[in-house]
Amino acid sequence: MHDDHDELIGRVVDELRAPVALDPAFDARVMAAVRQAAPGRWRLALRWWIEPRPFRLSPLTGLAAAAALAGLVVLGARAFEPRPAGGAATAPAIIVASTAPGSEVVQFVLVAPQASTVAVVGDFNDWDPGRTPLQATAGGGVWSVNLPLRAGPHQYAFVVDGKDWRPDPAAPRAVTDDFGAPNSVIIVGGKST
Amino acid sequence: MRHFLLFGLALASAGALQAQDPRLEGRLDPTTQAAVTGLLDSARAAGLPTEPIVDKVLEGMTKRASPDRIVAALRTLSTALRSARVALGPGAPEGDVIAGASALRAGAKPETLERISGVRGKAGLSVPLAVLSDLVARGVPVDTAATVIVHLAQGGATDADYTGLERGVARDIGAGAPPGAAAAIRARVAVTEGQSNGNGPPPGIPPKSPKEPRAKIPARP
Repeated sequence: MHDDHDELIGRVVDELRAPVALDPAFDARVMAAVRQAAPGRWRLALRWWIEPRPFRLSPLTGLAAAAALAGLVVLGARAFEPRPAGGAATAPAIIVASTAPGSEVVQFVLVAPQASTVAVVGDFNDWDPGRTPLQATAGGGVWSVNLPLRAGPHQYAFVVDGKDWRPDPAAPRAVTDDFGAPNSVIIVGGKST
Repeated sequence: MRHFLLFGLALASAGALQAQDPRLEGRLDPTTQAAVTGLLDSARAAGLPTEPIVDKVLEGMTKRASPDRIVAALRTLSTALRSARVALGPGAPEGDVIAGASALRAGAKPETLERISGVRGKAGLSVPLAVLSDLVARGVPVDTAATVIVHLAQGGATDADYTGLERGVARDIGAGAPPGAAAAIRARVAVTEGQSNGNGPPPGIPPKSPKEPRAKIPARP
């Protein structure tokens, strides 16, 4: 009985050990089929984007990422905020330096892209539109001038194109408006006392 | 006699020249010129500063206001200057009188000027009164603004404290705070900081309470 089995096993082994004769075009056919089944570069890229995958994130990193995202959203929203009519917006007059005691250099800035000329008038230059013109930046649109002013409150306004009176929207307006064209107010001083 | 007559004539001419500011020469019609000259003379006689009056004329002319409107504005300004002079006393500096007039026109009462003047003494009123007008212009109710300014003065606030208050209130209002609340809270902060710098609290504002120790949480068994 055992001899019969041994003989059968021997024949199977011999059969398995015998070299298999393959069709010479077999390799080519297999490779063609594989290439056809493989996804293209674009499909792979798309799959990379849409296939869900788990990733690990610490709570701190997650918070930082959320804060950064919120910041980007806020900045983006501000970038699309509507501007005042005429394309003008202003930054408040700011004190940039102290000069002699009791006087400081104040920077007046007006953003007026469509303006041809801008001047600042006030109680510091006898309200003379020809005395203190603002200079436009190289890109245009942003007008500024630095002016030494003595300490104390000052009223001022911008004159655009020689006829358009504009108060500084970023500065408080003078309570009194005697002539129907409101002024802005800046208080110079109060640093050294 | 003839010499006296000539001397008197020369004095009168000098007075007329003084009454006429060179910046106004030839820029006003005769009627307006006469009104302005009269107001300037009156201001000088009362010991009031004349520069704000000349400045108002120049502003009106540049803004092409009618002569009537210019004269009306001058009368209102002269009245305010006179009231400020009365409230602050005859020795008050011109800058204080000008700032006082501005505060009065903003709605402040003469008593407020008197109180600030009494507390500040020679420290000057120009900046506190300018900040008062500024706060009102930003929408702070005039009574609140006056109370804040007086309290800060009583707490020994400096000009820098006032301008700091003004900038802080401006920021808070810009961030959406109601103007009155912004002014009150900023004043409170300024007073508290003044206390920590050695200045006592002003009347009406209680001292800052010391921090109470935090209650201990019992440990888990």
